Amino acid sequence: MASLSEEVLLVVKKVRQRKQDGTLYLMAERIAWGPEGKDRFTVSHLYADIRCQKISPDGKAKIQLQLILHTGESTTFHFSNESSALKDRDAAKELLQQLLPKFKKKANKELEEKNRMLQEDPVLFQLYKDLVVSQVISADEFWANRLGDMNNSDPTPYNNKQDVGISGAFLADIRPQTDGCNGLRYNLTADIIESIFRTYPAVKQKYGENVPHNLTEKEFWTRFFQSHYFHRDRINTGTQDIFSECAKQDEKGLKSMVVQGVKNPLVDLLSLEDKTLDEGYGVSTTTPSTSNANRTVKESSNAAIIKRFNHHSAMVLAAGSRKGQAAQMGTRGILTSSSLLLNPFFSLAIEYEDLQRENRLKTVALNLKKSDRYAHGPVPLQSQHYTTSQDIINSVNHIRHEMVNYKPNLTQVLSSTAASSAITALSPGGVLMMTGTQQAINQMIPTEVQGELKHLYAAAGELLRHFWSCFPVNSPFLEEKVMKMKTNLERFQMTKLCPFQEKIQRQYLSTNLTGHLEEMLQTAYSKFHVWQTRRMLRKT
Amino acid sequence: FSAEDEINLLVIVVDVNPIWWGQQAQREPELTLSKCLDAVMVLGNSHMAMTRTNKLAVIASHCQDSHFLYPNKNWRGGDNGGEDASSSGDGKYELLSVANNLIAEEIRNVMTKKVEGRQTFLLSSLIMLSNWHGVSYRYLLMLPFLFSVGQEIKSRILVVKAAEDCARQYMNFMNVIFAAQKQNILIDACVLDSDSGLLQQACDITGGLYLKIPQKIALAQYLLWVFLPDSEQRSQLVLPPPAHVDYRAACFCHRNLIEIGYVCSVCLSIFCNFSPICTTCETAFKIQLPQMVKPKKKKLKQST
Repeated sequence: MASLSEEVLLVVKKVRQRKQDGTLYLMAERIAWGPEGKDRFTVSHLYADIRCQKISPDGKAKIQLQLILHTGESTTFHFSNESSALKDRDAAKELLQQLLPKFKKKANKELEEKNRMLQEDPVLFQLYKDLVVSQVISADEFWANRLGDMNNSDPTPYNNKQDVGISGAFLADIRPQTDGCNGLRYNLTADIIESIFRTYPAVKQKYGENVPHNLTEKEFWTRFFQSHYFHRDRINTGTQDIFSECAKQDEKGLKSMVVQGVKNPLVDLLSLEDKTLDEGYGVSTTTPSTSNANRTVKESSNAAIIKRFNHHSAMVLAAGSRKGQAAQMGTRGILTSSSLLLNPFFSLAIEYEDLQRENRLKTVALNLKKSDRYAHGPVPLQSQHYTTSQDIINSVNHIRHEMVNYKPNLTQVLSSTAASSAITALSPGGVLMMTGTQQAINQMIPTEVQGELKHLYAAAGELLRHFWSCFPVNSPFLEEKVMKMKTNLERFQMTKLCPFQEKIQRQYLSTNLTGHLEEMLQTAYSKFHVWQTRRMLRKT
Repeated sequence: FSAEDEINLLVIVVDVNPIWWGQQAQREPELTLSKCLDAVMVLGNSHMAMTRTNKLAVIASHCQDSHFLYPNKNWRGGDNGGEDASSSGDGKYELLSVANNLIAEEIRNVMTKKVEGRQTFLLSSLIMLSNWHGVSYRYLLMLPFLFSVGQEIKSRILVVKAAEDCARQYMNFMNVIFAAQKQNILIDACVLDSDSGLLQQACDITGGLYLKIPQKIALAQYLLWVFLPDSEQRSQLVLPPPAHVDYRAACFCHRNLIEIGYVCSVCLSIFCNFSPICTTCETAFKIQLPQMVKPKKKKLKQST
């Protein structure tokens, strides 16, 4: 039966399930059905287990709602109240529609996360295959360390969503189409709506005020597009438009922006303006630019367009930097003046060396005491042989004597035996050619064997990491884990390492590829053994 | 451009350290300096005989200086060298006999000159290593001006080395090696006695061949087999593979070759042990020594 603390959201009577009359209860976390007259629920499903719901088509006589679970099972409820079956069913359906998504996310999230991790990281995937699929360790142990605190934390960090910027042309992209009879169709997508709201907060405010109380959404947007606020040549005629206030607000905003000045010197068009009376955007100072006095209509409409463009651009820029301003300034492509001036390219363009003050940095001179050390080569200073001066004199005299009558004797330079032995030494296999035959190990082993070896190393490394992280063993959980890991290691050795060794032996590869792996496993075993004996001793 | 326009210059530098050769003559009389020079001459002749446009230069590297054996100041150059050349009478190509005679004459002069200065040389004082390099390198630089414009000269240097390295000329030597590398000049080395780390580096950096020959009496064979082909031809031949070169630095305090050391960040001098003051630039350093390890060690597994 339902626990008393469960909140019941909806009760529907006269719902049949499996040809039995009963009542359907929708609770906070599950949906349940109990037969008529009985207290207990025979059918109860958590929303998290439900994959989706289906309803029978509208024309059918039987009004049914089917729940399909993740496991594939389905449960069908037949609404049999003559008067209100359809309403009941629809009510149930709506409620489920709202509830299911909330729970769905939590259940699948883990699986999704796991799948994503496996797909993104092929090494992890291989490790998973090696260890879990071949049942060396269980899936839970595998995921124990990796999922971390995913279940506890807020889902938003995992969304990895980036903030979307605002396209400067979002209004132009709307591209109205004629709908055949003197009207225009504007296609508004959610993105465009969002852009409009972000750029013009005044419009958002209006939307909040008027929808859905006064206007439907459709009407609101129709009015928006019709209003002079939106159109190019808007001259604030003060019509009774819900958007006239927005226009006024925009004016205020623009003025304040203008007063603030432009912080960014390089987007600044100030320097091109000769007659700057104001800070740059207009010529007149005192009267607001919407005043029609002293101006022709054309001039004022031009000014209005230019003003609108400027305002639009400024708002787009401002909207982009409005969010997360502190963190993202300077990285979102909106160049702040400070970041620009640090940029070497720009500082080259705007700075002249000889116009700046001379500020030489204080440098410290390099003070080398024994600079001859650098000149000395890697040969040790001690010389190997010493000869007596008498020896030297003898040698020099001997040579002199020899060379006094030197005459080249080019026909007797080489004897054939000497020549042939030299040739043997230089031929492949000879004394001098030996180093070339040593091939790198990775050229002698076929690539599949290399790949398998890599996988073995990855799997062994993972297991060993779990094993060694248990030490020092100071809790019963760690004790259990260490013993489990040892059995896992042994199982790994038996199921993976030994067949691999046999395989390479069969291929007559004489190199010892698995020696190191075995050494690592052996170290682990001996450590376990030591720990176990110590434990025994402590107990006795 | 055709191969005829390309001039291949071979510069052979022979180490004629009299002390080493004098002792060698007493140790192993099979290879004397005369025999060595004969072998070098054979190589030179072969090189010139390969193509008409091949050029040769031979330099003798003595204790304190080097000398051009060929071409030298007695060489008139061009084709009129045959006037004062005593023809060998065996119908040899004149250029070769001229060259041989010049080399012989000059080496006689060099070796019989009275050696000035102190008579007490250490065997390891092959100071010439930089001098001859400088000489030969300067020669190589001048060559483009000796020939007409439009002729490409590809040059390489072969060093026939007998005595040991001298560490004092290390810097000059390294500079020469890098200059040669920039100019695409190969440095080959044929070493008779003891391995030379400097020449190994030179060969490795410039792309030449380093060979320490096992049998000195077969010097001519080794020279012809390994060092006669030029760099293009070498790619088609099976020649001894390059040796592993030890590029380890030597610490400034003991001159030991080290793999891991301490480098002063101010003057870049290398030490094998930490000392709080760098002895070259006298900068003081502090370093965090690793924490004392507790007796009950935690064995942390390094994952593969």
